[in-house]
Amino acid sequence: MKEYVLLLFLALCSAKPLIGPSYFTLKNVMLQDMEDDDDDDDNNSLFPTTEPIIPLIPFDLFPICPFGCQCYVRVVHCSDLGLTSIPRNIPPDTRMIDLQNNKIREVKENDLQGLASLYALALNNNKISKIHPKAFQSTKKLGRLYLSHNQLTEIPINLPKSLVELRIHANKVKKIHKEAFKGMKSLHVLEMSANPLNNDGIEPGAFEGVNIYHIRIAEAKLTSVPKELPSSLLELHLDDNKITTIELEDFNRYKDLQRLGLGNNKIKDVENGSFANIPRVREIHLEKNKLKKVPPGLPDLKYLQVVFLHSNHIAKLGVNDFCPTGGRKKKALYSGISLFNNPVKYWEVQPATFRCILARNSVQLTNFLQ
Amino acid sequence: MRLALLFVLLLPACLAKPFHQKGLFDFMLEDEGSADMPPTEDPILTGFGPVCPFRCQCHLRVVQCSDLGLDKVPKDLPPDTTLLDLQNNKITEIKEGDFKNLKNLHALILVNNKISKISPAAFVPLKKLERLYLSKNNLKELPENMPKSLQEIRAHENEISKLRKTVFSGLNQVIVLELGTNPLKSSGIENGAFQGMKRLSYIRIADTNITSIPKGLPPSLTELHLDGNKINKIDADSLSGLTNLAKLGLSFNSISSVENGSLNNVPHLRELHLNNNELPRVPGGLGEHKYIQVVYLHNNKIASIGINDFCPLGYNTKKATYSGVSLFSNPVQYWEIQPSAFRCIHERSAVQIGNYK
Repeated sequence: MKEYVLLLFLALCSAKPLIGPSYFTLKNVMLQDMEDDDDDDDNNSLFPTTEPIIPLIPFDLFPICPFGCQCYVRVVHCSDLGLTSIPRNIPPDTRMIDLQNNKIREVKENDLQGLASLYALALNNNKISKIHPKAFQSTKKLGRLYLSHNQLTEIPINLPKSLVELRIHANKVKKIHKEAFKGMKSLHVLEMSANPLNNDGIEPGAFEGVNIYHIRIAEAKLTSVPKELPSSLLELHLDDNKITTIELEDFNRYKDLQRLGLGNNKIKDVENGSFANIPRVREIHLEKNKLKKVPPGLPDLKYLQVVFLHSNHIAKLGVNDFCPTGGRKKKALYSGISLFNNPVKYWEVQPATFRCILARNSVQLTNFLQ
Repeated sequence: MRLALLFVLLLPACLAKPFHQKGLFDFMLEDEGSADMPPTEDPILTGFGPVCPFRCQCHLRVVQCSDLGLDKVPKDLPPDTTLLDLQNNKITEIKEGDFKNLKNLHALILVNNKISKISPAAFVPLKKLERLYLSKNNLKELPENMPKSLQEIRAHENEISKLRKTVFSGLNQVIVLELGTNPLKSSGIENGAFQGMKRLSYIRIADTNITSIPKGLPPSLTELHLDGNKINKIDADSLSGLTNLAKLGLSFNSISSVENGSLNNVPHLRELHLNNNELPRVPGGLGEHKYIQVVYLHNNKIASIGINDFCPLGYNTKKATYSGVSLFSNPVQYWEIQPSAFRCIHERSAVQIGNYK
């Protein structure tokens, strides 16, 4: 507190342009996972050494924090302000800008100019339908970009190659261009659910050379599992689509897959051997589909622990549908198998069907309240 | 009959190893007792322990579960989580045990859900919580028993109509408080509600129904944002005690008078936004103000500008020069303004009188 007063006093006496309140005591959790590249000048950021960019308009000469925003430890917080455009006066050393829940319609060419240290940009919940192809020219360190709940019709072109996480949930994206992710060697998370994307909207080669670990394209218009996603995938979430079958070659590329979400589709068949391509899978969600039997190949998945099959049309369970036979052993026992909301009668199930489960309540055969 | 059949069926199971026969038996019996209960929607994971909830991403103690259509807080969150992002879901209620193991949580993001109820005990385990984001929900009041460690509270766009003193009591670490776009009235703010918030630096109560500047704001305040309200008058004492105030936003109200002496209470004011109001004249006291740099007065009813409205009489005692004065969209004609009204402004472009872009 004393330091704070001192700083304020200092600022007043020297009559420099006002710098936003110094919340330097605020520890910033948001930044904990950011690269600690040039971190040593945190305190200096209160007194920026560089002049603000675009000093042509008189009001830009003034404060180093946009009015109504809060600027501290290189985070600029401007959410919920009803802004219709990205404010000027963003301190050039800013690492994170929070602009969510505003009315921004467009990211213009110079909106982010000079923000070379920017690591995270939250633009979710706006009305953005246009992003200038040169808008991200200066932001060479941008790792996290949140564009969910906007009006974009495609993945913007020329996004920074430095992206680690990209979220474009609930937009109007119909197309992923061949070049959309080009050169994004660090992209690990892609969330683009709730877009009107169908299989033809993904141009061949769009994911070439990228190493995404987690992709979610739920609530879209996919009719089959996209085959050209990155082979690095650990998690693939395709729930709430219109997928009708799982074909043999669907998971050919995704050898490392650990979690697979296919709930709430229209899957009738899983072709024999499909799951043999994903030997490391730990969790498969196939609830709310049209399966008539337990998908083949589960006993061979040594690490499979969770299988959701509830709300399907499964009328019969084979004694070897889940657990391996003979001398073969599972490396991890099942901890969750759900089968409720299926026509199968529990008294017709042979108890030995579940000889490889972890605990008594690992299987849910029928509906009951917890 | 059915039960007897069950016994027969289960008999061989008793011998099978490592099968947990008793368990299976138990849960089937449970089902017998509740045959016509509604189906459960949540399959149980056993022995899994805390793990990253399916479809969420967990990375470096950040648990990211936004945009998943969740209707409740996921169970078994990793106990070392520092940031939990649950925004853009359909959560309706925060229950008592929802955050029970998260004693290291620093930030909790619940923005854009349908929360109308928060159990009074829900936040008790969160001893280290610094940021609580509750914007875009259906809360009628701020939750009780918020952690004392909180530094930032955002509850924009809810249905909050009341601010009770007990809700803020003990929250002496809060620096930022955002309560905009709520159906809040001046009469709904309890006397002394903000008392004890001795670190409060930023408060925003914009786009509500309040008709006056809230009373009893702490002297630590540096920014006060009250735009888009129904304030019609600034009383002389309404800013008293706010000696650290640097930014004051009062645009888009219906202010028709600023009582003389009001601005003397805020000697360190840098930026004053009074645009889009009903002011008939420039507020008094600006001329003597030493640090004011930005004054927005556009879109008012100012018909004339006095020669000493902005600059001090005689010798220039200002310690900071104006960098932005806006007067456009007022009935005053620029040729009626004496140039010396701006004698203490060196940068000509700092004054905007006409309606140009």
